[in-house]
Amino acid sequence: MEILMSITVGVLFMVATYLMLSRSIFRIVMGLVIISHGAHLLILTMGGLQNGMPPLLGQEAANYTDPLPQALILTAIVISFGLTAFVLVLAYRTYDAHKTDDLDQLRGTSDE
Amino acid sequence: MTFLHWAIISPFLLAILIPFFYRYIPKIHTGWFVFILPLALFGYFMQQMLQTTSQGGVVEASAPWVPSLQIFYTVYLDGLSILFALLITGIGALVVLYSIYYLDKKKEALNNFYVYLLMFMGAMLGVIISDNMIVLYVFWELTSLSSALLISYWFQRDKSIYGAQKSMLITVFGGFAMLGGFAILYSITGTFSIQETIASADLVMASNLFIPAMILVLLGAFTKSAQFPFHIWLPDAMEAPTPVSAYLHSATMVKAGLYLVARFTPVFAGVPEWFWIVSGVGLFTLFWGSLSAVRQKDLKGILAFSTISQLGLIMSLLGVGSASLYFNDGVENALYHAAIMTAIFHLINHATFKGSLFMAIGIIDHETGTRDINRLGGLMTIMPVTFTITLIGAASMAGIPPFNGFISKEMFFTGMLEAMEISAWNMQTFGILFPVIAWVASIFTFLYCLILFFKTFTGKFKPENFDKHVHEAPIGMLISPIILVVLVIVFGLFPNLLAYSLIEPAMQSILPGVMTGGERFYVDIYLWHGFELELFMTMGVIALGTLLFIYMKKWSSLAIYKKESDILNPLYDGSLSALVTGSQKITRAQITGRLRDYLAYMSIFIVLLLAYTMFRYDAFSMPTENISPIPGYMWVLVLLFILTTVVVPFINDRMAVIIIVGALGFLVAIFFVAFRAPDLALTQFLIETVVVVLFLLAFKHLPNLKKERTKPRIQVTNAIISVGVGVMVTLIGLSSYAFRQENGLESISQYFIDNSYELAAGENMVNVILVDFRGLDTILEVLVLAIAALGVITLIKLRMTGREDV
Amino acid sequence: MNSLVILPVLLPFLIGAVLILLAKKHQAQRVITSLTVLSMLAASVILAVDVYQNGIATMEMGDWPAPFGIVFVADMFATMMVILSSIVGVVCLFFAFSTISTEREKFYFYPFYLFLLAGVNGAFLTGDLFNMFVFFEVMLLASYVLIVMGGTKYQLRESFKYVVINVFASMLFLIGVAYIYGALGTLNMADMAVRIEETGQTGILNVIAILLLIVFASKGALFPLYFWLPKSYYGPPSAIAALFGGLLTKVGIYAIIRLFTLVFNHDIGFTHNIILALAGFTMFFGVLGAVSQFDFKRILSYHIISQVGYMVMGLGIFTPLALAGAIYYIAHHIIVKSALFLFSGATESITGTTDLKKMGGILKTHPLLAWMFFITAVSLAGIPPLSGFFSKFPLILSGMQEGRYIITAVALLVGLLTLFSMLKIFIYAFWGEQKHTDEQAAKKIGPILLPIVPMVLLTIILGFAAEPIFSYSYGIAEELLEPSIYINSVLGE
Repeated sequence: MEILMSITVGVLFMVATYLMLSRSIFRIVMGLVIISHGAHLLILTMGGLQNGMPPLLGQEAANYTDPLPQALILTAIVISFGLTAFVLVLAYRTYDAHKTDDLDQLRGTSDE
Repeated sequence: MTFLHWAIISPFLLAILIPFFYRYIPKIHTGWFVFILPLALFGYFMQQMLQTTSQGGVVEASAPWVPSLQIFYTVYLDGLSILFALLITGIGALVVLYSIYYLDKKKEALNNFYVYLLMFMGAMLGVIISDNMIVLYVFWELTSLSSALLISYWFQRDKSIYGAQKSMLITVFGGFAMLGGFAILYSITGTFSIQETIASADLVMASNLFIPAMILVLLGAFTKSAQFPFHIWLPDAMEAPTPVSAYLHSATMVKAGLYLVARFTPVFAGVPEWFWIVSGVGLFTLFWGSLSAVRQKDLKGILAFSTISQLGLIMSLLGVGSASLYFNDGVENALYHAAIMTAIFHLINHATFKGSLFMAIGIIDHETGTRDINRLGGLMTIMPVTFTITLIGAASMAGIPPFNGFISKEMFFTGMLEAMEISAWNMQTFGILFPVIAWVASIFTFLYCLILFFKTFTGKFKPENFDKHVHEAPIGMLISPIILVVLVIVFGLFPNLLAYSLIEPAMQSILPGVMTGGERFYVDIYLWHGFELELFMTMGVIALGTLLFIYMKKWSSLAIYKKESDILNPLYDGSLSALVTGSQKITRAQITGRLRDYLAYMSIFIVLLLAYTMFRYDAFSMPTENISPIPGYMWVLVLLFILTTVVVPFINDRMAVIIIVGALGFLVAIFFVAFRAPDLALTQFLIETVVVVLFLLAFKHLPNLKKERTKPRIQVTNAIISVGVGVMVTLIGLSSYAFRQENGLESISQYFIDNSYELAAGENMVNVILVDFRGLDTILEVLVLAIAALGVITLIKLRMTGREDV
Repeated sequence: MNSLVILPVLLPFLIGAVLILLAKKHQAQRVITSLTVLSMLAASVILAVDVYQNGIATMEMGDWPAPFGIVFVADMFATMMVILSSIVGVVCLFFAFSTISTEREKFYFYPFYLFLLAGVNGAFLTGDLFNMFVFFEVMLLASYVLIVMGGTKYQLRESFKYVVINVFASMLFLIGVAYIYGALGTLNMADMAVRIEETGQTGILNVIAILLLIVFASKGALFPLYFWLPKSYYGPPSAIAALFGGLLTKVGIYAIIRLFTLVFNHDIGFTHNIILALAGFTMFFGVLGAVSQFDFKRILSYHIISQVGYMVMGLGIFTPLALAGAIYYIAHHIIVKSALFLFSGATESITGTTDLKKMGGILKTHPLLAWMFFITAVSLAGIPPLSGFFSKFPLILSGMQEGRYIITAVALLVGLLTLFSMLKIFIYAFWGEQKHTDEQAAKKIGPILLPIVPMVLLTIILGFAAEPIFSYSYGIAEELLEPSIYINSVLGE
């Protein structure tokens, strides 16, 4: 399963990078969202996707899945969410100020 | 810290007080407060000379500064340094006196001037008295700095600024090179002390870094002493007020390079490279400088190139004299001592006659308002004292008896003729060049002396050429140059006054160990040597020089005469502008303004570097242990997920893209469920909902996504980069996982599993980690959210124009 | 003394949060923020002295033992960095009082300022890699807001690029942490060091090391990951630019030095040679950028890039002398760089522009400003006897001693070009004919100059009193090169 998930994460990063290399501000924001999904899934994969029980001690099982990556991912999700919200508003304001979402037109003059 | 340590620092201390004298006692010209110091120091150094160094003694003391870096403030006053110290303080005193009459106390910003001047004086003393190479370097750069500040004194003038920048760049370049050379020497000997390095000279010579060290140190010397091709800063430095030109750019600062060569002779000399480089550069500079001086129409320009040329003369003598260290015993040796002796003697003489000439030219400039030889003329009767001063100074420089310049010129010819006889280093073939170049250069030297003198003082006086009423200078301005020409005469008639007091001890410093057992060099200088070859050479110089002068009208219409500026100047200017343009091109190629380019460059670099590392360490491994099995439904889920992802870049409808990306997020939540992470799934569902709502809100105001009209080449590159990134992420992930399994490392999470209930009283391990074990992370993530929220408010509400603050 | 360790983070965090509620009250905000940063400075000094005398101080959050809980590790290096960030925090704040417009103050300027400092200090003090990630995000997000605050067209455009590149790098940081956890099973840096000692730094660990190097190299603006920097620092006001220019990139450099002395110190033939190569390219391309510009602030921005190259050069050479030079250089650079940005603000307040071609003759109308700038500029170029020389000198010396001639030559050449570009500022803005109006010439800039004075004094003192500073740096270098000291303090014997 880990191998499959690693490949999936790779696909996520591939698509996200492609989106971030685009000219449209909003595709870039989409790319940011996807890349954070990729990172989160990767953390989970690195912890091992064992077939233990969910990390709830009430289950009284022999084997638990690794709780630490889950905690890390939770923190990461929140941080990514904050970032996404901010970037989205930033993108919107940039579009609003410059009236275009094409980054090629937003290069700035070479001396500026 | 001894008195000597303080003596070097004293000018800096006085400099701090100068602005106060200027501000609060404006009635008295600030220069008078400055004058006392060099005078006092001169007295001190005279006393040291008479008591200690002329007997062969040395004053040394050391104080720690940065001992951990072997930087000690060590002072070492021997024959060589006392000579320079006397020059610096003696001529310094005369220059300050001169400046009091030269600079008007109402019109000029005297506080700046004297602060810079004192800074220079202290720094220059530091250079020549330091035994520690790094302290020498510190003072060296301070001289570059203070010199540039003095050149830029009238900083509203473009030419002053240009001159200051040029001098700074060239001399600091040399300074950095010299520092590199010192670092190399340190790595060989383990010490920064010059005396200790001299003692370990064979160690240095044996090292394979010997030549690089030598060249770097010589770069420092050549740049500071304006040797070819680094001489181009000196003519532009003439923008400084004339007292500065007289002090720094003829008598002291430019001699620092000569000092360096002299001081380091015991370390580097005795090898052909040193001989050829030092003499060669010196001779060429001598020639080039004298030839260029003839072309100048500005009196200061003539003197500038003349200084360059004379410095080359002394440099070539130091080069020839280094042969003493090669032929360490034998008759041949005595001949090369003489070259060193001449070098020192001429150094002193040059200071006297050049200093007086600069001051005289300054007087002419001050009283007539011009330095252009085409406008000057006939000042002989109007300014008789200045006339006499210039006559003596120029005659000495031209090498006419009975002045000191004549004697040292003769001895110079002797040195060059002896050089021909050196039985090593290919001199048998090339040796003839030495006296020939020397002779030709001397003809030009004679010529420009004639030009300087006759054009200014003889001929017809045309009052309409001048803006002011021309008259002789006040007596105050004349005292200093008079003293100097008196010295010119005295040293000419009684040269042996200097022999054992100054010259011989200096020779001991430059050629230590040559005279063993406390023996002294034989120094005897006298005016008349008989009808030797040297005398005939001099007569030839006078004859040809005079001829050229008489027929000046014939050749003064030649193109080569019309232009004054050195040929290398366009090279310098061109290099600087090429530097700026080149750097602009390089920078623009990188900082294109396009975000895509930045990300592309970064990603390419990242992928390549990671791939290379992976390949080099054979790091890829497929995990084989502890792989969880893949239930059937997971295949479906994963497939669905991958398809959904891959579709995103191709969607153009904004609603569709939001839905798809939202769907992705929800699929991730389902993954969390499948992988036994209930809290994660909950959070993901929540967050994803909010994100979708946010996007919907934002997209209400936004245009539709268009299919991007990007060049296929760029699209393909983007695709390749993306694939690269994706592949690397996967490969590293697989290998990392494999690594832990192979090495059997236990994760720290076992602690959480074991102790979550016992120590933290919680059954939901993830929650316990979040809130307790790693609570700090959680507080901080809340902070991040808060910042994001406030940031959003700020972004939306605060709209400034950019002119409100700085 | 253990609780002192958390103060540099706790103070700005809590007070910043409280200040959100006081957004409308300028005076109160100013007073409270000043007191906070001053206390932060005092706390950092006391902490540093304590650590210097008594050894590394650690603090386990929640009393959970390392490596399971998060631990703060105040060693000499970290405490020095915290002092520097506090100094810059104080100086830029007081400068901001005279230059920032009240609209910014209304929109939570001071809370963001404090949060940034909290993030920076946390990154310096933490001993846990994921915690460092979170602190980085705090710092970065605060920087995103500060850099775009005001919302001018220029700011929006350039900040968007700044943010995207940084988020990309942050994501790489996150997966780097993931990989480390995947490979080693721990998040605590000392524990990582121990585990790598056991397994050897083989195979994939080198790849992860390089990945983390890349991540911090982009935060630290090393070649070729520096594209986000040059244009973005032009937008925000000078006080902010000074804060960023002095601090932000140094956090990345700190992380590189920490990781490659504590954790990834086993295969220096490879890793540290790459670092050295990056250092050389960074120095070179950075200074070329500075040479190409004709704007005060842009020249300074490119210099930041050039000079982080020197810091990693010391790491690449990896001897105590070299590392001591790097550390000394960090201290010198933080002080001088911030001061220079503040000077650009001062001249902008007089002339209304930072375009060098439109400025001239400030030496005549504001000589004190001109001389203070001159001293600082010359220090940057490495002219003795100021701090720039004594911090570059160990680098040059160790380069020669270790036979790294190319990088030493590059370092010297770059120094010359640095001088050239700083001279350009002086030539255009300070020398020359006066280009600003007489009304502008009469402007009194006392309160603007006053905060910069301590920085100028510091660069002079750090030069003349080089001995104590250098031995302190050398002590830090020795501690860094002996990772067992750190590891034992964290994990116990």
